[in-house]
Amino acid sequence: MDVLDYSPADVPIRDDLRAAHRLIWEYLARPGNWWTGAERVAIAAEARRAMSCPLCQARKESLSPGAVGGTHATTGALSANVVDVIHRIRTDPGRLSRAWFERVVADGLDETRYVELVAVVSQVTGVDFFCRSLGIPLFPLPDPLPGPPTRHRPASAKAGTAWVPMIAPEDASGPEADLYPPAPVIPNIVRALSLVPDAVRLLVRSSDAHYLPIAEIPNPAARRGALDRMQTELVAARVSALNQCFY
Amino acid sequence: MNGAAARDSGVVHGPELIAFAEAAIGGDDVSLARARSALRAVLTPEAYVEVAAVIAAFSVVDRIADATGIPVDEMMLAMSGEVRTALRLERFASSANTRQTA
Repeated sequence: MDVLDYSPADVPIRDDLRAAHRLIWEYLARPGNWWTGAERVAIAAEARRAMSCPLCQARKESLSPGAVGGTHATTGALSANVVDVIHRIRTDPGRLSRAWFERVVADGLDETRYVELVAVVSQVTGVDFFCRSLGIPLFPLPDPLPGPPTRHRPASAKAGTAWVPMIAPEDASGPEADLYPPAPVIPNIVRALSLVPDAVRLLVRSSDAHYLPIAEIPNPAARRGALDRMQTELVAARVSALNQCFY
Repeated sequence: MNGAAARDSGVVHGPELIAFAEAAIGGDDVSLARARSALRAVLTPEAYVEVAAVIAAFSVVDRIADATGIPVDEMMLAMSGEVRTALRLERFASSANTRQTA
């Protein structure tokens, strides 16, 4: 049986969505730029564990997440500081701050590993919400693939206005020449993970299937077909408001 | 966007879409089952799947945006400034990522 089993949804699932989810699962399993396949799958498992973590629930309900102490309910596979980062991104991303990020880095999680962790947590969260929305049990996580991380840090990533260095479109060359799709504008959300280029490549593919191709987003008439654009944007805006995402 | 006045949004099936998005993001399975039934009663199967896909997409990008501290792009800020003010989006802590660069 295919590990990505959509049958409980009892509706046809588009081929491009199935392909995107396979791509995401393959991404989780293989070694990345900075984490091994086993570590990436462990990160994904921890992101799921966060959904039933009492500390995370208490922090979410508090006015200030930092005011609530305690330890996370964890799978035990990762260090405590990495677990905290994963849980915060999964359960309360809207209240992350630059000061918090700087403490995370000072505590030993360098920005390259951080960015790749963000990619893993975010993508598995997306697939999980797709399943939850359609009443599908969460897909089993993939078996990790062996091999070391590539340790590729793009030379063109530069510090700027975000918390993490990013590659500007005009600087995407060499190994990163293919990084950004041809589009009049490359918004910050596409650049955000560019310190880990494969995370951007995955985001572009998954966004194409789940929302719209990057180049079509500024076109108000662009739509995938089944929903009109206003319906799409209403859902998108409500999700972002619930996540307290200003962007 | 803030959950209120979905019936007045002018969006076809706005109330059902909003209720489904809220239930999917929230943790209440009973509410989700109810919202799913209501949505499936008014949408084609393809549209229903597309709603789930959009929920997934923005569950991803919201986390990427807020975990990397990216500011809102200037062009988007110019286009959406009034709407953002009307919806009081500045109340979100993540607005600091844009305020710091604006």
